[in-house]
Amino acid sequence: MNSRTLALISREALTLLVSAIIGSLVVFGLLRMLGGDVALMILGQEAAPEAAEALREELGLNRPWYVQYFAWIGGFLTGDLGRSYSGGYDIFEQIVVRFGPTSLLAFGSLFVSIAIAIVVGTYSALHNKDWTGAAVDVAAQLGIAIPNFWAGLMLVYVFAVLLGWFPAGGYVPLLQDPGGSLHSLVLPIVALSLSSAAVKTRFVRSAMLDVMDEDYIKTAMAKGRTFRSAVITHGLRNASIPVLTISALQLGSLLAGALVIENVFVIPGLGRLLLVAVNGREVMVVQSVAFVILMIILVMNFVMDVAYGLLDPRIADKKAAGHG
Amino acid sequence: MAETQTATSRSPGNGKTAARTRRRWPTSLVLGVILVGLVVGVALLSFFWTPYNPTAINVRARLSPPGTPGYPFGTDRVGRDLVTQLMVGARNSLYVSIVATFVSIIIGTAIGLFTAAAAPRWQSIVTRAVDVGVAIPGIIVALVIATALQPGNTASIVAIIIWFIPVAARVAIGPAKQVLTLDFVEAAYAYGRGKMFILFNHVLPNISSIVIVQASVMFAIGILAEAALSFIGIGAQPPTASWGRLLKEAQSLIDVSPSMMVFPGVAIMVAVLGFNLLGDGLRSYLDPRQVFRQGDA
Repeated sequence: MNSRTLALISREALTLLVSAIIGSLVVFGLLRMLGGDVALMILGQEAAPEAAEALREELGLNRPWYVQYFAWIGGFLTGDLGRSYSGGYDIFEQIVVRFGPTSLLAFGSLFVSIAIAIVVGTYSALHNKDWTGAAVDVAAQLGIAIPNFWAGLMLVYVFAVLLGWFPAGGYVPLLQDPGGSLHSLVLPIVALSLSSAAVKTRFVRSAMLDVMDEDYIKTAMAKGRTFRSAVITHGLRNASIPVLTISALQLGSLLAGALVIENVFVIPGLGRLLLVAVNGREVMVVQSVAFVILMIILVMNFVMDVAYGLLDPRIADKKAAGHG
Repeated sequence: MAETQTATSRSPGNGKTAARTRRRWPTSLVLGVILVGLVVGVALLSFFWTPYNPTAINVRARLSPPGTPGYPFGTDRVGRDLVTQLMVGARNSLYVSIVATFVSIIIGTAIGLFTAAAAPRWQSIVTRAVDVGVAIPGIIVALVIATALQPGNTASIVAIIIWFIPVAARVAIGPAKQVLTLDFVEAAYAYGRGKMFILFNHVLPNISSIVIVQASVMFAIGILAEAALSFIGIGAQPPTASWGRLLKEAQSLIDVSPSMMVFPGVAIMVAVLGFNLLGDGLRSYLDPRQVFRQGDA
């Protein structure tokens, strides 16, 4: 590892740290600024003063805000975020358990959407250029406009209720029964990946079309490659950077979408945990889950930024020059 | 969304016809205006006329299929007319989305303008905070807000505003900084104009087309967000009619009355498609540099 790589990683790590601090303060502060007294949020505004006082004592809410903040952050490091007020479960443990289904959904959809985009984008660039361009544009517009949870409902109706090919909902842990788990995840993953696939298909298609006129395609053909294989190899390489960039940007919306899709397919992930916690006014659970999801996104951005810097030194130098 | 704009049109002869068609509306703008007009028209009409009273219950006609005389789209589990529910739902979607977009565009653009004119140290701090804000998914913001406030339209609006402000700010910062480097800004300083005057009289008009396009895209995202929040039960509460809440109710009747979930979904799709096309169309119409993209659907 040379010094430039080290400098790049440490600079991006610093960015990650600062972002994490800002993000945690926003989540922590927003709840208290908008909701006011956490004890009254949990007990309701008409709670008896003694009961509220007892709860404040129990949850440590009578400490100064910065002590509460650091205790919360410390809880992530020690794996102890306390127990749920109404559910009685260990909050940290529940987050770890619920993380599995949600990340399977989000990352599964990320890979499925990339696969769809590559296949459809490549096919549409190589065949019937006149009408597939319009078709891909229309499909992309529709893909963005269709809410993922509605796509989920329609898929359930067609493939679970009418045809009975897939279960309408529920979740089988991956390690317990890999086949059954994947079977139960097909519909939610397809529902979640449609709109991100639609956006990426346009990029793959235009990257393929861009390389078609390049001289290196002629060179490759002169060396005995077919036009098709030359365009596919060069086009895919050309498409990889924009597709990876968009995928990193889409991870946030895929995670958010997973939280909603979990409610369509009754999958016990972070979304279900969060929703029950919201209705029960479980401030600690809500702020912890929100922060975990934010951290996943920030860490992914960190990895992407480091990867870019290593792949293309010009990007890293531009950022070092103060572009931020 | 914004990233779709880089997909290039390849139809030959586009460049040649660009000059001639410069004043014509792009296809996407025409389609966008028609679809948005339809949704807005239905929402406005619902204030004066709906087939039935939105809260009228007719238990004898409960779960009528589409095509039942008097109920072209059918009824829900207590016999409320679905056409009426959809019309009033349009009003609710637009209300939440438009209020949230206007407030966040105004605040976000102001933050963008001031940041562009601020000292570099402040610029980097605000930019970093804005980047974190953009990274937080809207649903998460909404769930945090709904914990603090009661679930309902207000929670939806506040959540969408807090979600959109960093987005609006980030969209404004770059172009505003660019305009501030132009010669006429320096001339205005030399003429003795203050920073505020320059920001609002020279910079704002020059970034206004970007802001307008962004607002149109935000209307679309706002409608999707409102629907998603109502669907998971932290947005509009009964008896407020909302497309997302109609879908939530349809979910439990999926094997009994599947038509109930078709129409609200189509309504959301039409509204979102309309605002997205409007944004795309405005982008090519307002930005002369992008006039070559007119052929895009």
